Amino acid sequence: MPEPEYVALNRASWTLANAEYTDRAAREAWAQDEIVWGHWHLPERELGVLPDVSGKDVIELGCGTAYFGAWLKRAGARRVVGVDLTPAQLDTARRMDEEFGLGLELIEANAEDVPLPDESFDLVFSEYGASIWCDPALWIKEAARLLRPEGELVFMRGSTIRILCLPDEGPATDRLLIPQKGLYRIDWQEGDMAGADFHPPTAELFAILRENGFELVDFRELYAPDDAVDHEYYAQPSADWARKWPAEEIWRLRLRSS
Amino acid sequence: MADPTVEAWTRANAEYTDARAEEAWAKEEIDWGIWHVPESELRALPDVAGKDVVELGCGTAYFGAWLKKAGAARVVGVDPTLAQLETARRCNEQFGLGLELVEAYAEDVPLPDASFDLAVSEYGASIWADPYKWISEAARLLRPGGELVFLRNSTLVILCSPDEDVPATETLQRAQFEMHRFEWPDEGVEYHLSHGDWIRLLRANGFEILDLIEIQAPEDALTHKRYDYVSADWARKWPAEEIWVARKEA
Repeated sequence: MPEPEYVALNRASWTLANAEYTDRAAREAWAQDEIVWGHWHLPERELGVLPDVSGKDVIELGCGTAYFGAWLKRAGARRVVGVDLTPAQLDTARRMDEEFGLGLELIEANAEDVPLPDESFDLVFSEYGASIWCDPALWIKEAARLLRPEGELVFMRGSTIRILCLPDEGPATDRLLIPQKGLYRIDWQEGDMAGADFHPPTAELFAILRENGFELVDFRELYAPDDAVDHEYYAQPSADWARKWPAEEIWRLRLRSS
Repeated sequence: MADPTVEAWTRANAEYTDARAEEAWAKEEIDWGIWHVPESELRALPDVAGKDVVELGCGTAYFGAWLKKAGAARVVGVDPTLAQLETARRCNEQFGLGLELVEAYAEDVPLPDASFDLAVSEYGASIWADPYKWISEAARLLRPGGELVFLRNSTLVILCSPDEDVPATETLQRAQFEMHRFEWPDEGVEYHLSHGDWIRLLRANGFEILDLIEIQAPEDALTHKRYDYVSADWARKWPAEEIWVARKEA
């Protein structure tokens, strides 16, 4: 499959983000013992949204510096493969993997077209990876292909309400600035960076998931905790906004066996 | 009558729903919500031929009438507002459709377990009954493999609705966090949950979620003359209504 044009833009923006932030943030993330979710670092032990990963084969689509994959490996996954399309991010991930000796497999590829065999994983995972940077019509189909029957798909993305309230620049407002009608691909530009991400509304994304054989197991809307403070790097909704409205959401699905 | 919701619907029946019940019952095509989007476009319902159906919060029971005409074996309409059931009974006699009409709250239905194949609610229990009570009743009333289909307002339109009785705005008027029970002026008590809470509630009651349809007002839609909580223009840009389709696990 030829590389869609947004892939190069996203690679460039993540190369820059790696130089500015994610490379230096990687060691602390890898070193962390606890699995946490999203910008507010909500602990998995409170959310309980992941299946038991002990002995499971896991693939992370859009792994970035692969800290989440590292956490899953430490939580008992048998095999963890991280897929990402930005070499700089994978370089950081490889350096960390060597340092921490966790034995992740790291592959440079677009999650819309993964060079791995069918039915080779028990869990497909994405935290702000393919879940927002890839076309859902393509990457969810790949996720279904990579999973064994009854395998699970867990991913996090920004909430639809946050997207609807986003101005051209800066954090989410309390106003509906973007119509939901036609919402799917969002082209953006911020300073030197440009790219595209994908955000079909809840019903459209659910329809794509059903078409690809997934059954919805759980869906969590995440709010900022009372003591949350604004993130140092990511242009997030303010902690105050995210206490009132969910800025992030986690989907958990199971591939139907038939 | 102490119940503010029953009071509000008794008033609404005298002002509006009684007078338009015959017209609604007479319609041949099933449609959804205030924009009358046809079922033939949305395809939210399973085939009802030969099925036993309960409508939770039936009002004047026009939706149940459509399902009976579409081939349902048995249609039971449940509503707590006597005035609306009287209108429904008058129409039922006039149209000879043989609906059964029961005065009860959808949170506590005096009918046996596992006696229906389909539970529906269109602006009924779906917004005027507490989901933490009526969803478990729907699960109890359904046979294994039975389906639950309901239409409610979108979470977004509720978030954008001011406390006063004016149409939805383009500004978030209230927090979504822990949203549940709403008292509007002169409108009774409504219940609105976020998507996450709906999904978890349905799953906890043994439902598989088959579909979620966010309804868009058609291009030629005009703002509804009575149900003017949202303008047609707003509802073309953002969904003001949504339909959930779920199946009770066998």
